Amino acid sequence: MKKFSLVKWFFVLSLTFIFSINVFAEVKNPDTIIVATIGDVHTLDPHFAYDTASGEIIYNVYENLIAYKGESVTEFIPLLATEVPTVENGLIRDNGRTYIFPIRKGVKFHNGYELTPEDVAYSFKRCMILDRTGGPSWMILDPLLGYESLEDLVRDKAKVSSWGDLFTEDGKLKPGFEKVMREIYDMIDKAVEVQGDKVVFRLAKPYPPFLNILAQGASWSAILSKRWCIEQGDWPGTPEEWWKYRDPQREKDPLYERMNGTGPFKLVEWKKGEYVKLERNENYWRGPAKVKYVLIKKVDEWATRRMLLENGDADAVYVPRQYLPQIEKMKGIRIIRGLPTLAIQAALFNLNIKIEGNPYVGSGKLDGEGIPSDFFNDIHVRRGFCYLFDWDTYIKEVWNGEALQPTGIVPKGLLGYNPDGPKYSFNMEKAKEEFMKAWNGEVWKKGFKFTILYNAGNEERKIAAEMLARNARKLNPKFRIEVRGVQWSTYLSDLTKGNLPLFIMGWLADYPDPHNFVQPFLSSRGAFMAYQGKNAIELAKREFDPLIEKAMTIGDSKEREKIYFEIQKKEHEYAPHILLHQAMGVHVSRTWIKGWYYNPMRPGGDFYSLYKSEE
Amino acid sequence: MIAYILRRLLILPFILLGVTFLVFFMMQFLDPVQRLSAYIKSPEELKNLTTEDLNRLIKRYGLDRPLAVQYFDWLKKVLKFDLGWSEVAHQPVKDAILNRFPATLELALFAVFPVIWIGIQLGVISAVHRDRLLDQAIRVFAVVGWSMPSFVFGILVLFLLYGVLGLFPPGRLSLWAQNIVSSPDFKAYTGLYVIDGLLNGELSVALDALKHLVGPIITLSYLWWAFILRITRSSMLEALHKEYVVTARAKGVPEKLVIHRHAKRNALIPVVTVAGMMVLGLLGGVVITETIFDYPGIGRLAASAAQQLDYPLILGITLFDALLLVLGNLIVDILYAIVDPRVRLE
Repeated sequence: MKKFSLVKWFFVLSLTFIFSINVFAEVKNPDTIIVATIGDVHTLDPHFAYDTASGEIIYNVYENLIAYKGESVTEFIPLLATEVPTVENGLIRDNGRTYIFPIRKGVKFHNGYELTPEDVAYSFKRCMILDRTGGPSWMILDPLLGYESLEDLVRDKAKVSSWGDLFTEDGKLKPGFEKVMREIYDMIDKAVEVQGDKVVFRLAKPYPPFLNILAQGASWSAILSKRWCIEQGDWPGTPEEWWKYRDPQREKDPLYERMNGTGPFKLVEWKKGEYVKLERNENYWRGPAKVKYVLIKKVDEWATRRMLLENGDADAVYVPRQYLPQIEKMKGIRIIRGLPTLAIQAALFNLNIKIEGNPYVGSGKLDGEGIPSDFFNDIHVRRGFCYLFDWDTYIKEVWNGEALQPTGIVPKGLLGYNPDGPKYSFNMEKAKEEFMKAWNGEVWKKGFKFTILYNAGNEERKIAAEMLARNARKLNPKFRIEVRGVQWSTYLSDLTKGNLPLFIMGWLADYPDPHNFVQPFLSSRGAFMAYQGKNAIELAKREFDPLIEKAMTIGDSKEREKIYFEIQKKEHEYAPHILLHQAMGVHVSRTWIKGWYYNPMRPGGDFYSLYKSEE
Repeated sequence: MIAYILRRLLILPFILLGVTFLVFFMMQFLDPVQRLSAYIKSPEELKNLTTEDLNRLIKRYGLDRPLAVQYFDWLKKVLKFDLGWSEVAHQPVKDAILNRFPATLELALFAVFPVIWIGIQLGVISAVHRDRLLDQAIRVFAVVGWSMPSFVFGILVLFLLYGVLGLFPPGRLSLWAQNIVSSPDFKAYTGLYVIDGLLNGELSVALDALKHLVGPIITLSYLWWAFILRITRSSMLEALHKEYVVTARAKGVPEKLVIHRHAKRNALIPVVTVAGMMVLGLLGGVVITETIFDYPGIGRLAASAAQQLDYPLILGITLFDALLLVLGNLIVDILYAIVDPRVRLE
């Protein structure tokens, strides 16, 4: 009897459950937008953050002076400023060296403090002073002071070899440097000035992308409350010992885990490594957002994210490209494809490979068993490899067709993108021709052997490298390339040592301007050039630097475009890298999410525009 | 007994010292730039870092100093209960461990009963029905679980319980329950949501937390049953042939009593040790189960620390696990003495 009732209960319960799941057609958690992703928030300080996961939170909590208009990356709307400066309205003056922003009145920060022009000036000065290593401050420093870092600035002004030379062991400023530090402070102080209810920026040089740098989407231009920052123990806004606030350690930064913006959402909780929760700002000056809460969860496992999406417990999830087919037929899911991202991936040649103790270059000589240090210094070797890459197969296999072959370093969607620009195509004949010319025919005769590394887990890089290796071998059996996956730590170490003959790197736009792409990839001071060796730097100095600098002095976009076309023609000619692809983004969410739009510069969701409704 | 416990506790610092020294020693095989990868986590972060910047970061974090200096600096800080900063967890190592441990503890506490108790029952049944159909069936069932990779079985369980049936979701709490827990009125006494829920008078929170434990517990149980079962079974078989069992039977004691009172009690002694080690294993975190069920415990933390070479966190967790292991072993030893009076802890 007892047993029978247990079995009966089991059935009744199971039936209830089965029915209950088929019923939930209505919107789950209508008040909360839940995103399940893999991104890890690093910091909540807008001047420290330089990654999209942190940027997404900052984007929804803080605000900038201006913002991109909807999907556009060229048109702006005023946000905390009341007008977007133009030459016509007289707010851009002196040939683009003065920008004036009238500041909005009556806006309140989340803690109730009122926004003042002082706050705006303080925010930009703080960004310049913070200048953390590898951080985003260069984007404000470069246009305003003409130096990319405070380190460059002190090297020039104080004639020391590094920032550290200014200080004693216990961190005190060495005597004799007070004057120069005061001089630098004055430069920072004068670059942004309050005039009544306006804030005036004085640029060191005309800087065409300046408004893009200030636009929303960029966390480094967020506006903080001066009074609140000082209360948190941040820089007090005075010249005394201002240098102490430069390059803080992440955890010692007063704004590391606190936020106080003017934006549509305020921070409720950052549970580190787990989730970030935001709550609607009821007093938002443009009117409160439509949803009350936003929850951004970190869920590492794809299968788990998929089930969360399927059951409606997540509204949007991150989907690795290869898993898209798994959800294509899922009910209640919307997939939007073909969203152009402003990011380029390239395989870069190292023109001065380190040979000593390098396990990736074989014998280190051109004897068929290795490659010499300057193997890629021969232009024919580089071109030969460019002809060996099979874009059609790569884009079809790896990207399900959702990527473009770049025609130059400037991606589609930006000024300077040339759809008819010269590009390499997969061509064994031409590859053979180039390799036969390389090293006076020695390469073709003797062959070579080297290793391409990829950081384990990055499938697209693995496949790209393997394709190159396969095609090289097909062309000439003496061309031997080994492809090996290593831990990121090993990869990083070998990259910085100059051990990697060829390495794959990506770049995501900081601001939508061609300068942001030609600079890192083609300028002698670019971020990646250092890993390509001194011959590459020489090449850049000779061929690219003059044009890159010239393009930045020109305001007229037609004229600028011409120069970028020319730069990319040279890029094709000298082939310092193989341009692999520009990916097309995919957005996956429940159909009940409404109000979504795409802007390639936005670091994540714009939760102010979103709401949930079945119809 | 007290002297024994004290002696064991006195060895503790030396064990911890040894363990951390080993981990530190192994770090010596990595060059400073490799260890910097804890601070620069992906190629994307190289965007604006020059080689000079990298060298500056190495200096700042002291990665280029001799190993002995780094180790003693670390030790000095540990003596002040400062385990350093974890780049991976974005918080001090101590906080990271203390924040994650309640979740792991909760899972372990609730998993212990089904894993061990049912495991023992299965073992006893197997032994009693030795080589008969029931025994074979139970053993095959358990061995399948033992040999199944946890990532396969975990996903299967999640798929069935959550994907198909819509019950037992991943995570630690539902959204509404999370809202209650993070509200200021809710007091966190233990960090274990089932217990805290009850203490706060929020029965629904406690039930919700339990609901989220079902998937991981089923997974862990099935994966571990074979282990407990085999020990219990063989030790039970041995006991069933002991003279005192034969005597009991000869006296005409009912078979049930013979099995449960005479044989089982004695057979359980080796199981105590194994079960103790298993609980310790659970407390150290179960990486794959936690990852699949999106359960924020120590295991997941340890895995990301190791992957990204976040050595302050690796050392912190090593220290913590070693501490657990030594204390846990001590408790097992004491239990052993209680279960088996023949064992004297002198």
